[in-house]
Amino acid sequence: MTTLQGLYRPKTVDEATALLAQDAEAKPLAGGATLVAMLNARVIEPAALVSLADIDEIKGITVQDDGRVRIGAFTRHRETAACTLPLGSAAVVAHAASQIANATVRNMGTIGGSISFADPGLDYPPALVAAGAVIEIASVQGRRTLPAAEFFVDWYLTALEPGELVTAVLLPAADRGAGVYIKHARVAGDYATASVAACLHADARMSVAVGACGPTPLADPEADALLSTDRSDAAIARAAQWLVARADPLDDVRGSADYRLLLIPRLLLRAVRAVETAHRSAA
Amino acid sequence: MSGAVIEAAACAGGVGQGIPQLEANEKLTGSAQYIADMARPGMLHGAILQSHLPHARIRGYELSQALALPGVRAIVTGDDLPDGHRMGAFIKDEPAFAKGKVRYVGEIVAAVAADTEAIARQATRLIRVDYEELPAVLDPAESLAPGAAVIHEEASSYVKVFDAGTEGNLCSRTSFRAGDADKAWAECDLVVEGSYQTQAQAHLSLEPCGALAEIDATGRVTLWSANQSVFRVQASVCESLGLPMTRLRCLTPRIGAGFGNKMEAHVQPAVVLLAMKARKPVKLILSREEDFESVRARHPATIRMKTGVKRDGTIVARETELLLDGGAYGDDSPGVLGYALLMNCGPYRIPNVHAHGRVAYTNKLRFGAFRGFGVPQVTFASETQLDEIAHQLGMDPIALRRRNMLAGSDPWFGGQPILSNGLAQCVDIVEKASGWPQPSAQGASDRQRGLGVALTAHISGLLASGAIVRVLEDGTVLLNTGAVDIGQGSNTVLTQMCAEALKLPVDRVAIASPDTDGSPYNWGTTASRVTYVAGRSVVGAAAEVEGKLKQHASEMLECSVEDLELLAGGRVAIKGVAQRSVSFAEISGRAHWAAGGPIIGTHSWVFDQKTVDPKRAVVEGLPFPQIGIYSFNALVVEVEVDELTGKVRIVNAWSACDIGRAINPTMATGQIEGAFVQGMGYALTEEMVWDGARLANPSLMDYKIPTFAELPDSIHAYLVESNEPSGPFGAKSVGEIGINGVAAAIANGIAQATGVRLHQLPLSAERVLNGLLAKDDGEGAA
Amino acid sequence: MSHPSPVSLQGVVTLHVNGEGAQVGAALHDTLLTVLRDRLQLTAAKRGCNQGVCGACTVSVDGMPMRACLSLAHNCESVEVRTLEGLLDCPHLQALQAAFASSGAFQCGFCTPGMLVSARSLLQRDPDPDERAIRSALSGNLCRCTGYVKIVQAVQAAARSLLPEGAAS
Repeated sequence: MTTLQGLYRPKTVDEATALLAQDAEAKPLAGGATLVAMLNARVIEPAALVSLADIDEIKGITVQDDGRVRIGAFTRHRETAACTLPLGSAAVVAHAASQIANATVRNMGTIGGSISFADPGLDYPPALVAAGAVIEIASVQGRRTLPAAEFFVDWYLTALEPGELVTAVLLPAADRGAGVYIKHARVAGDYATASVAACLHADARMSVAVGACGPTPLADPEADALLSTDRSDAAIARAAQWLVARADPLDDVRGSADYRLLLIPRLLLRAVRAVETAHRSAA
Repeated sequence: MSGAVIEAAACAGGVGQGIPQLEANEKLTGSAQYIADMARPGMLHGAILQSHLPHARIRGYELSQALALPGVRAIVTGDDLPDGHRMGAFIKDEPAFAKGKVRYVGEIVAAVAADTEAIARQATRLIRVDYEELPAVLDPAESLAPGAAVIHEEASSYVKVFDAGTEGNLCSRTSFRAGDADKAWAECDLVVEGSYQTQAQAHLSLEPCGALAEIDATGRVTLWSANQSVFRVQASVCESLGLPMTRLRCLTPRIGAGFGNKMEAHVQPAVVLLAMKARKPVKLILSREEDFESVRARHPATIRMKTGVKRDGTIVARETELLLDGGAYGDDSPGVLGYALLMNCGPYRIPNVHAHGRVAYTNKLRFGAFRGFGVPQVTFASETQLDEIAHQLGMDPIALRRRNMLAGSDPWFGGQPILSNGLAQCVDIVEKASGWPQPSAQGASDRQRGLGVALTAHISGLLASGAIVRVLEDGTVLLNTGAVDIGQGSNTVLTQMCAEALKLPVDRVAIASPDTDGSPYNWGTTASRVTYVAGRSVVGAAAEVEGKLKQHASEMLECSVEDLELLAGGRVAIKGVAQRSVSFAEISGRAHWAAGGPIIGTHSWVFDQKTVDPKRAVVEGLPFPQIGIYSFNALVVEVEVDELTGKVRIVNAWSACDIGRAINPTMATGQIEGAFVQGMGYALTEEMVWDGARLANPSLMDYKIPTFAELPDSIHAYLVESNEPSGPFGAKSVGEIGINGVAAAIANGIAQATGVRLHQLPLSAERVLNGLLAKDDGEGAA
Repeated sequence: MSHPSPVSLQGVVTLHVNGEGAQVGAALHDTLLTVLRDRLQLTAAKRGCNQGVCGACTVSVDGMPMRACLSLAHNCESVEVRTLEGLLDCPHLQALQAAFASSGAFQCGFCTPGMLVSARSLLQRDPDPDERAIRSALSGNLCRCTGYVKIVQAVQAAARSLLPEGAAS
């Protein structure tokens, strides 16, 4: 039997962080798609759960005064995928959300819950890094923000300190760009074997990130700089090599490390061409 | 086309009509009761303890902590099992659960019954087993090499139902010889040889295995379980626990599919033992992970195949060598080996054949029956090798097959006569419908399309079945066959046959649930045999009932029996004089109250056509001396290969099956479609992966079967009816044949699209991409 | 600062299932699936994997298909749960049942309750779904028996039967 001692249902972020601060064993529960599956498999046995389901502040997608798009941590993937707000190149995040698992799981899982788990096979991390998203984090000490690239630290490890909670994901103000998430998996709904998120910003700047090929999303500023000025096949191949050099993929049932390294340049090519096409059709 | 004209269905729902399953209402309202849904008064809940070691002696058990946990009612271990009692379909090598030794990671070592499942599971974690670890053997070739650790020390003393040749880690061996393959190579203009490797596939029935046993005051046990044969369950439990078969009654709830996983025992012996020890009902349902790790899976196979042909494409000789990984226990392995070898030629004339193979024990879970039963493996080799031959001869792959296809009165390999053969028609249909050899318009520029073909066959007749048909007092009819409906619709199909035979509407015939107490023996729902074997019993028993009805009617109508005919709707009438008739109800009334006794018709038989004609072939170690009646399949698939990633998508599939007669066409096409998609998983994405001795992916997160998203744009299933003279209403089989050729056809399609030839399953994106790259580097076929 | 007190370990939870309130005992780690099946004897929702992958446990929560095996019972007090047993009066569900029966869109039936809940939700949102929409909506429901072909046909047939006459696409 689990050693669970309590399920708490705070109404505000402050109540939630106070609970987490007080009980080091307590875990935040969002959609449950990840946490309850692990509970069922007895992979984790938390002493207490802090359900975030009643905290309105962290739900929904809105445009802030500064133009940035705020996705509350408790926003379901379905909602993020169906977001009709203009997102520009940050649409890569919605595109990634639409490819997570399947429709029913997308009704349940949330962006905050998903990224807090930091499984490198997840779809959000590379999309958030490519989009230049910022993660908003709360604790009893207050709020802080962190660029997505710094949020994902290692295999299943984020920059969250004990007692901290993701409250929102902030996307840059919508530019007139396009964003595309290319996912290669064995079957629909599987974790990615490898994926590439590509953003083509209105100023023609490009930013890309590779998923499932290492402990954290792969991004390389030189690769982005090159692709911002030259998107020939040769340039894409060169940019890919810099990403390959940073890659540290595993052998697992989804694919060998060698295969993933082979995929990076190929998926990058596909992603760049796809985002160029998306940009042209939006124009 | 087909043979004799078949009478149109006489009544609503009769033979040839795609009526809904009889269980439709309960399945569509959620009221169907599967084993996990059942409850009995006072029921306890069970859980298993699994071995974490692949090979070890069990020195002892420490149960005191577990027994002390409040709510624990009984624990069983190998110490509770009687010595010397083992079960096994071909070789009796398996105890009820581990006794004295564990032989694979995940093997059941103990079981607990407690007030709740949570308590039972917690108790299993408190059991300590004292193991003495032994070296483990994980590879079949290594297992057969000298010096390998011996997995079954007493192998030579095990009871075997055939001449298996068991020795050391060799579980069984089989060899067929026809003509003289060794000499015939010299006559060939082209000889192609290759090695092939296929993977373990998990059945993944949506319903995990489980059982519920209840003991009564006299000590008799009633057992419900997720099963494919109440009779195999009864035999296995009684053999392994040392019980007389009269002590155990086996019943069946609704079954959430099997595909072979539930054909032999899983937790039933442990659950019966728990119920006997606790003296209370016990229900035990495996988790998905436990089902993956402890039950059974499809045999991984290593195949070496050599085929020799004349320049004009005539096949002259074939040599096949098969090595099956049998896992820790024999289970159905000897049968899978023998059957795969029997089927290795495919539906072709090959005069000189040497087909031989071995099953090796390894310290992995037992491999056993899984739809296709060895044929998907051996067909992957044979149908891709034929394509390679066609390519080298510059012949169209279908033309090559037509040249060699069994036709007319050609017998099957080994000599069994074939009385109905619709293969040519199957080939005609799919060749035309697919637009062979041209794939449909190419998709995007980095995707290549190709068509691939495979021809296969599968048997319909094996072992024994019986049927009892009773006319109830009101003239309605009760059918009892002992055949378990695992979801494929046998209840409906057998009822349709009985109704048709007696010219009754289907709703006036009920079918009893299989019960070892009351049902006649049916070996099992496996081997695609129920329609043909149980069907023949149904027709036979119905014929006996017809005879008795007519006997009564002749006395009631004062005429001779020859003057009588059945009328639709349950009447017997004088031919041509419909007004002079009596109803089944009237006859049954007479039988019950006045003369003759209640009308019962029975039929019991065992399939007795010899597999092998000794004048045509010599066999050593044949596990099935009597098996046959062949259905045929021609399959064309259209694949699309993503040249950037190697991922293969199936665009279209055309599968034509000669099934003799479609008793229920909707269900028959459903079998073909379902088998195709399961075959797609086998071909492309499914693979049980071992990390050392441990299964690395025993979960649906990591083991992926096709979803709606992988469904091709279209699957066209065609039914060809060649009217098998020996078949009930002309029927043969349809359950397995649809899966046999899928992997080969897809591999052939990939080759047509890209030139990449793969000899290993699954045809993962990674393997295809590596093949594409090797080709670009000029390294040729993988 | 004061904070809300927790639900106790072996608590009683009030659920709203199939239009009725029900008070059931549930441990904190008990999923909605466990409570539906074992405490309320609503056994249509099945346990195929307990990991949220197979879809056999799919039920409707506040009108949306969700995995009962991934929902903690104690976290479901404020939602409306509908299992297949509670949807039998729904015309969309009835149309699907009729179409599934005549199309042969099920074999063993184990995936069927979850499949029907998902399909019903689709038809409520999208009365005239094309094949792509059907496949996408149902891709979280695994079936090992049918090969999916007849399920797609049945959902299309059900949709057609529900549309006003002459409105079929």
